[in-house]
Amino acid sequence: MKLYDFELHAECYAARLMLSLLGVTYQTEAVDFYPEAAHLAPEFRAINPLGRLPLLEDGTLRFGTVQGILSYLAAAYDPTGHWAPDTAVLRGEVAGWMAVAGELAATAGQARLIETMFADGDAEAARAGAEALLRVIDQHLWFGEVEGRDWLCSATHPTIADIACFPHVVLSEDGGISRQDYPAIRRWIDRVKRLEGFTVMSGVFPTSSAL
Amino acid sequence: MMAQPCTDTVMLEHWHPVVSLDELRGAGRCRTVLLDRPVEIVRAAGGARVLCDSAPVQTLVQYGYVWASFGTAPAPLFPFPEFDEADRRFVVTGVFGVQVSAGRAIENFLDMGHFPYVHTGILGEEPHTEVKEYDVEISQSRDEILATRCRFYQPKAAVSSDEGADVEYIYRVPHPNCSVLYKSSPVDETRLDAIYIFVQPMGQEKIRAHTGMCIIDDASTDLDIRSFQQTIFGQDKPILENQYPRRLPLDPRAETPIRADKSAIAYRRWLAAKGLGWGVIPAGA
Amino acid sequence: MEMLDLAGWHPIAASSDLPTRHVFHGQLLGREFAVWRADDGFVNVWENRCLHRGVRLSLGLNDGRELRCLYHGWRYSSRSAGCTYIPAHPADAPARTICNRTYDAVEAAGMVWSSVAPEAEFALPEVLAGADPLVLRPVPVNAAPGVALALAEGLLPDARAIGAASVSFAEAGLVVFVQPLDAHRCVLRGVLLAQPDDRMAALRYHDGVLCGLRDRIEASGEVAPPPLEVGFQPVDAALAEMPARARSGPKAELRVQVARKWDAAQDVAGFQLRAVRGVLPAFQPGAHIDVHLPNGMSRQYSITNAPGESDYTIGVKRDAAGRGGSVCLHGDVREGDVLAISAPRNNFPLRRDSEKVLLIAGGIGITPMLAMAQALQVQGIPYALHVFARSEAHVPFADRLAGLAVTRHLGLDAAGTGAVLGDILSGYAFSHHVYVCGPAPMLTATREIAAGAGWPEEAVHFEYFANPEVIDDSTSFEIALARSAMTLQVPAGRSILEVLQENGVDVPSSCEQGACGTCVCGVLEGEPEHQDVYLSAAERAANDQIMTCVSRARSARLVLDI
Repeated sequence: MKLYDFELHAECYAARLMLSLLGVTYQTEAVDFYPEAAHLAPEFRAINPLGRLPLLEDGTLRFGTVQGILSYLAAAYDPTGHWAPDTAVLRGEVAGWMAVAGELAATAGQARLIETMFADGDAEAARAGAEALLRVIDQHLWFGEVEGRDWLCSATHPTIADIACFPHVVLSEDGGISRQDYPAIRRWIDRVKRLEGFTVMSGVFPTSSAL
Repeated sequence: MMAQPCTDTVMLEHWHPVVSLDELRGAGRCRTVLLDRPVEIVRAAGGARVLCDSAPVQTLVQYGYVWASFGTAPAPLFPFPEFDEADRRFVVTGVFGVQVSAGRAIENFLDMGHFPYVHTGILGEEPHTEVKEYDVEISQSRDEILATRCRFYQPKAAVSSDEGADVEYIYRVPHPNCSVLYKSSPVDETRLDAIYIFVQPMGQEKIRAHTGMCIIDDASTDLDIRSFQQTIFGQDKPILENQYPRRLPLDPRAETPIRADKSAIAYRRWLAAKGLGWGVIPAGA
Repeated sequence: MEMLDLAGWHPIAASSDLPTRHVFHGQLLGREFAVWRADDGFVNVWENRCLHRGVRLSLGLNDGRELRCLYHGWRYSSRSAGCTYIPAHPADAPARTICNRTYDAVEAAGMVWSSVAPEAEFALPEVLAGADPLVLRPVPVNAAPGVALALAEGLLPDARAIGAASVSFAEAGLVVFVQPLDAHRCVLRGVLLAQPDDRMAALRYHDGVLCGLRDRIEASGEVAPPPLEVGFQPVDAALAEMPARARSGPKAELRVQVARKWDAAQDVAGFQLRAVRGVLPAFQPGAHIDVHLPNGMSRQYSITNAPGESDYTIGVKRDAAGRGGSVCLHGDVREGDVLAISAPRNNFPLRRDSEKVLLIAGGIGITPMLAMAQALQVQGIPYALHVFARSEAHVPFADRLAGLAVTRHLGLDAAGTGAVLGDILSGYAFSHHVYVCGPAPMLTATREIAAGAGWPEEAVHFEYFANPEVIDDSTSFEIALARSAMTLQVPAGRSILEVLQENGVDVPSSCEQGACGTCVCGVLEGEPEHQDVYLSAAERAANDQIMTCVSRARSARLVLDI
């Protein structure tokens, strides 16, 4: 299995984190996303016409969006069925939070690309959009704790929805978004970091072990 | 949104990097901010021209970068002889925006004690955390800080070995916002690789950090080298952005140095002696 | 504005914001806080800034006893916020005055309360007295606290302002506290004064109310003032200088009460010493305190505690043939008694840049080893603790040994001990360290066996209880004090230390037998006659430091760096 990868790319990290949590071995091929924008070059578009990272190759199969990669990995490599659960309720919840992850990419993720890698765009607008989402997520996670739910979906275990949202949230400060106002999100970050098989990326640090 | 433009003469009388020739070649022109002033860099005969409010700004093309100054007679740029050595590869590893002062970024570049904690498994690894005694001098003749005999334990210290060992470093700070470090080449231990950080101060608490290397290595690809250096910088970034206050305090009683911080102490004193008052919290402020 | 009164107490977090092993990022009136709960439940409210390089401690790692800064791994103890370890200098004990700024904190009514500059003790707001409150979800607001408070008063018809920063709605049984984060930001902290029948429904309903209030406040169009300018308290002048390798520090006298006294082993009494007021200073593994006894004596005892514990626990072996200190502690000191002790001093620092640590304890020599073993255990550094004792009944603090990597060697004679030490000390490798504390013959044997097994001197660390050598004080010589510009005569029968102290030169001292290392002084010229057991052979040979309590001069004159 091969992941076309860029270390500092939030969604590449989501793919690496999922692979690590599942204990799947894989190779990486670095794509010079920044500064060379190699993901937009014809050579890369020949593999992923979307011109987007990450891209996962498994044999002859190719998945060129993070949502596709996470869904595929969970369905193909998780015998427990936890990461992409199959009940009607959880399928709906997972799909909903995967959509939120996409919105986080367009807001918090975009603010990060603007501030650190000088992408085009309106950083203030991107931050405002992200803060509105983070308020909702923090509220959702706070009520989750009161109800005995640790994760975004109502399962007793994390799902690909947590993994899809995590990189954008944990890297938000790169885009100038402090997490001070989101204490429940900060605790959820600690919980994700304590999952067995968790891995860091450049700019994400481990937390202490649980009691 | 733009803050009051910088009027600090120390900053104004220096050359500042604004864009790498690599980036300019690709883009043709670049808009950025220097000392709270918007500037535009365009390709031109001899390399580049820098404009501020459509008026030309003094421009210099050196060491793979376009440099600009708003001063009346900026001092010549510091020597960087390794840039011209024929058998070295020059690789621009990128430019990153960071919400911090230039001084904090330079100080982090000089610091070895954080290697096991921030660059875990790459530049250092617990339990090998000791910063051994090293020498620091402020060279009066060259007006730069020099730290020598620096050694730090590095896992996988050489390409040829998986073993960890002490790696030697020499650090130079020849410019308030620029530093070059030399470390044993993992390919040829008799030579030193040069790794630089040239900080472009956009504002007092906002920078563009230009990083790159002049190295003895014909095996690694540019992409490998870039990935490595970007990983290192990406690890430092959240630390820098969580330093509080963001400007570098020059009052000795603002923070608590230890012996490992000798080079940082020298750096703060050197900046204070220059009378720098921008991007820092001056002593007695 | 009253809302920005620094003396007031405000809720800064909900109790539920502080699960174990987490660090909460708080703020009050512009001051940022790192708030964390230790495993024993203690709530720490610290300035959110590592004293070293200003990195936010809310990024740090809460290991249940200490907070580790993310940048350089400095460790700060729960309660005292004192720095216990600086990894860049693993062989040194941090100056014990390196201490983070702490803020008072009280946990009450499901919230943590603090104040930036309290002028009075915390008092629970009357409205909460006797209540069994339900704490609502905190709702941060991007608006000036005063604006938020004014609009909050319009939330329900029966609003009544109480105190400077809260509104009570008696009919709804709701109180809203406005926590001023800064001049332009605040948090609405709602509390229901009684537990509702349907807790979830009540939480959700009132969260909706507070979110609606937030949205109205933020939409009110009032321009928020700029953030407060927060000044940082300068660090102690002594800490601002790059420290030399000095070990001495101020002689702070502390008052402690004997909270518990018990038989920790045969002939060993355990004493648990609790601060009479406030919090005891942080200690590092290997540190000792001077205990001033009712009979006028002063004795040194190692602290046995694990990191982050609140009281100091020491072990005292009864020695009827000794100078009387242990007999006094065993016989005369009782639970409830108040003793004067010094702040902890560490002349036996534990390096933690080791791949493996061997700890060898003989008898009561286990006391510093216990602190070391527990610190290594918490930090996950491989170690092995070897305890030598006459019998199980002679192993002190057996309760603290549970869960540690300990091997007992009981009832061995000198030859048997030597054989076991030979086994333990075989297989030296790079980055291994051995620490030993016990009776003098055992220390001597350990040092010889280690040297024979290839251990370099700098990897062998030892602490004597006492100097077994007979001190020869028959010489007389001159000392010149380089920094004090004084020249003094040391006659036969007097020590350098005594002469210095008689002449008003303040040199810290402790055991006064050449065993503890406290009275060390640099030597600039002249040849010392070393009579201590503290310095290693290499340190002695360098002739650049001297234990002023017992050592003297071979040359006619010594120039001391003092």
